[in-house]
Amino acid sequence: MIPVEYYLVLSAFMFTTGVIGVLIRRNAIVLFMSIELMLNSANLTFVTFASFLGDSAGQVFIFFVMTVAAAEAAVGLAIMIALFRNKQTLNADEVNVLKW
Amino acid sequence: MVINTIFNSFHLIGPEIAVALLLLAVVIFDLAFPKNKKFLPWLTITGIIVAGFLTVKQYSLESGFVFESGNTQGLIVIDNFAFFFKLLILGVSLLIILFSVSSEELKNCYDRAGEYYTLITGMILGMFFMVSTVDLITLYISIELVSFSSYVLAGFIKKSKRSSEAGLKYIIYGAVASGIMLFGISLVFGYTGTTNFYQINHIVVHSLSPDFLLSLAFILIFVGFGYKISAVPFHFWTPDVYEGAPTTITAYLSVASKAAGFALLIRFVKIIFFTGIDENGYWILSKAFNWSYLLIIISVLTMTVGNFAALWQNNVKRMLAYSSIAHAGYMLAALTMLSEQGLLAIVVYFVVYGLTNLGAFYIVLLIHNKTGSEEIDDYDGLGYQMPLMGVAMTILLVSLTGLPPTAGFIGKLYVFISILDAPHYTLAVIVALNSVVSLYYYVRIIKHLYLNNPKVEREFTFPVTQTILVLVLTIPVIILGLYFGPLLEMGKVSLRMFGF
Amino acid sequence: MENNIITSVLLFVPLVGAMLVLLFPQKNAPLIRFWGLFVSLVTFVVSMVIYTGFDPSVSGFQFVHKIAWIPSLNITYYLGIDGLSILLILLTTFITPLSLISSWKSTGHKVKEFTFFMLLLEVGMLGVFLSLDIFLFYIFWEAMLIPMYFIIGIWGGKRRIYASVKFFIFTMAGSLVMLVAMIWLAVYASEQLGSFTTNLLDLYKVGPNVPHNIQSWMFLAFTLSFAIKVPLFPLHTWLPDAHVEAPTAGSVILAGVLLKMGTYGLIRFCLPLFPQSSIQFAPYISVLAIIGIIYGALVAMVQSDMKKLVAYSSVAHLGFVVLGIFAFTEEAMQGAIIQMVNHGLSTGALFLLVGVIYERTHTREIADYGGIAKIVPVYATALMFTSLSSIGLPGLNGFIGEFLILLGTFKSSVLGNWWFAVFATSGVIFAAVYLLWMYQRVCFGKVTHDKLNKLEDLNTRELVTLLPIFVFIVWIGIYPSTFLRLSEVFSNSLINYIMKI
Repeated sequence: MIPVEYYLVLSAFMFTTGVIGVLIRRNAIVLFMSIELMLNSANLTFVTFASFLGDSAGQVFIFFVMTVAAAEAAVGLAIMIALFRNKQTLNADEVNVLKW
Repeated sequence: MVINTIFNSFHLIGPEIAVALLLLAVVIFDLAFPKNKKFLPWLTITGIIVAGFLTVKQYSLESGFVFESGNTQGLIVIDNFAFFFKLLILGVSLLIILFSVSSEELKNCYDRAGEYYTLITGMILGMFFMVSTVDLITLYISIELVSFSSYVLAGFIKKSKRSSEAGLKYIIYGAVASGIMLFGISLVFGYTGTTNFYQINHIVVHSLSPDFLLSLAFILIFVGFGYKISAVPFHFWTPDVYEGAPTTITAYLSVASKAAGFALLIRFVKIIFFTGIDENGYWILSKAFNWSYLLIIISVLTMTVGNFAALWQNNVKRMLAYSSIAHAGYMLAALTMLSEQGLLAIVVYFVVYGLTNLGAFYIVLLIHNKTGSEEIDDYDGLGYQMPLMGVAMTILLVSLTGLPPTAGFIGKLYVFISILDAPHYTLAVIVALNSVVSLYYYVRIIKHLYLNNPKVEREFTFPVTQTILVLVLTIPVIILGLYFGPLLEMGKVSLRMFGF
Repeated sequence: MENNIITSVLLFVPLVGAMLVLLFPQKNAPLIRFWGLFVSLVTFVVSMVIYTGFDPSVSGFQFVHKIAWIPSLNITYYLGIDGLSILLILLTTFITPLSLISSWKSTGHKVKEFTFFMLLLEVGMLGVFLSLDIFLFYIFWEAMLIPMYFIIGIWGGKRRIYASVKFFIFTMAGSLVMLVAMIWLAVYASEQLGSFTTNLLDLYKVGPNVPHNIQSWMFLAFTLSFAIKVPLFPLHTWLPDAHVEAPTAGSVILAGVLLKMGTYGLIRFCLPLFPQSSIQFAPYISVLAIIGIIYGALVAMVQSDMKKLVAYSSVAHLGFVVLGIFAFTEEAMQGAIIQMVNHGLSTGALFLLVGVIYERTHTREIADYGGIAKIVPVYATALMFTSLSSIGLPGLNGFIGEFLILLGTFKSSVLGNWWFAVFATSGVIFAAVYLLWMYQRVCFGKVTHDKLNKLEDLNTRELVTLLPIFVFIVWIGIYPSTFLRLSEVFSNSLINYIMKI
């Protein structure tokens, strides 16, 4: 059996990748992909602990998170389309009517 | 039997059920009568009043878990603390819907009015769960429910660049913050093996020294709260979203969703870390994580950054956005004390701040209706052209500054009392100096209203309904400033949380 | 103690009057002016009723009106009058109608708002002097800033916005620090007395027991707030700006009453609440006061603007008052109290006179005048008379106050050094120099500008505003005991109380 630490390290790695992606990438779609990565790393942690602790609450949580992630993508893409119609860009640096 | 328990506890979530039905009703009404959109706000208001009625009815109930059966703990609780915040949220929502009716900005999206009210109802539902949750799962879901509705609402005016940009920025920051929080939650779950606050409390109580993993997890979770209450350094979205979003939504976010965020943060801290309470009303918290330090740093940063950034703003909405960050800082300062007095201060502050901030945003909205601008330079001499609005705005700004004889002073007074009771002199002085800084930019608006001469000679008239709404918000600000006994009693009652 | 409603009447007459002003039609300016004057005169009559009923031989508060307000915090609506406040209340109700008359012509626009704010200001000032509850006091203390901000900001001169914001922020910075100290004291009282209280008389019992190092901080916090209001050197920089930019009526109120709130606060709060710290810090504050006296006089000397000159002379005069307060002798305390009144009368009159001539020529530069004594003899006489009173010529009011303060300072055991008195005396001489020099340049010599030949002398309205002040200037100068007896018992008991501790 693979030790629990392996899963946790992997999920920590995924989480860090997600955070770094959010920090350095500027395209809104890529930002969203990075965010998905963060959510999925949390999911991995949940599954790991759920199976490790034998508690199904973690598994239940994942279903909620997956729903939320789907909703997030839907809302995010809708907003992006609205913005793209106005500005013809999805680069976060060019979205600057409001000063950052 | 589980099924029986579920049926028996239905009446406990009466208000939530009412709000959920309202949400459906709005959607169905919008689909069934696409021509009669002007009835939508009144339908929503009716629903809110019904939910309010059901909430008030719960007041006499004993605190109890909902969906409790055997050894499984419930997900939400009903207690006075939640009761207070629910009523606050309903009141604010009611006012926001009335604001929306008079907003010219939203008239351009008249054909999508159905979505607008649906989403507001969705936010109410989310906030209801936020203020009463005692489980990490409901915590996450309710925050997301509120967030998604508000993302769409912030970007609601699709044709406006400002608005859609606000929506995008909001969702990116929001999603990152909630992702970080979720990771924190997963760590807490791994550490404790449960998602229920009370059960986490049983485990956390026993730790005698700060634990690295747990501390990390709580800091990650705090990011989510910090984002919801727009505490520095998680505030970057606030000015942009507040400026870009429709003014009604800005006002809503600045009061209701901030209140829900605070309620959740307070409940989280108090229930999970509670080990006892001393005779002066100070909480004895578990040593697993030192909240006091974190909160002091965050609160000082929040109020200072908010106030100083507001000094340079020329857009009134943006200025009020920074001012609302600063106000969150004052409230965090009271929370820092981790005492019943601090909690009382926050509760009182929220009532006062809610009234005042809503009023200020409403007048900004009305001025925008007439002049089409939120720039401070376009406010020159408006005090003479719209006398009543000018006076009301002055009173509200004085109240935001925290000067007597307005309600804002009472809020500040309580924050000071709670801080000096500890006593924490440095923090008190920092709050005082911050108020002086805030005076400068609030007075700057008054200066433009009255001391600068108008650029164009014009007269404005407002419909009676709008005038009445302004008075409804302004007069209590004065009355509560002079007679706040009842507010205090209500606040004291609202402090009681389930299990304490 | 029986409740006496008359103090509340005094407070509510101008408040109700101010609210009623809002109902008047904007166009009917004379009606609004008469209404404002009427209300302020009624207030004056009420204060005279209080004066006649006031018993100077009683120590402690009279005409007490106390109602429970916020029971859970033990906050009360608590008003009362003693030997200190009676004089200042009379001064307030006396100066307000005069400044309203003085602004009859000069505030041409927005008369309604002006009258409203002036009456509101009167409420605030009276409230400050009447309150015996620190919560109530603080409300009036802060609420008064708002009308003053508008009076300077709307009807002021060219740099009015800068001046009004500066005034607002300076005062507010001080008072928030005071608020922190007040709340701390009230919280401390809850440990000592068993309940949170803002009742000043209860706090008097608590204050002296505060541990020494904290007491110093509390004292400094209160003093900072009051010192800004006085203004004590080096916190005076807002004053010249505010005075120069304010309209005449605003300047008169500012000099006549507002500045007294600072010194009043020192006597009412700092001394009895923190007696040990007061004595400890007395030498330092006295040094600042003396620097203020000399600095104010020297700076006044080189001013080219008449109003600025008078403003700096205020800094010097109030230095005397502060010196008198912190000498801790009965004479000096009496002198300080009477000097507060004197300064209100003399400086008020000086501002009125500067305002009168400014209305005619629209300049306050001393260089723009010369030889006007021949053209406007009555005005020149009035100016001479007022200047002499401000200088402290024996026989006029200023002499009494300054003499008592110097005498008290000389004898002071707390200061323990007669150099304080010596340096302060030099201020009297300087005052003579700058005022008489200004007088000489303005009134004597050849008529320097042709325009001045058309200058009109004082009219009846202006005489009506000035004569009552002159009556009191002479009265206090010749027979001061009418006024001194009011504050005698108060000064005795306060000094005894402090020296005992």
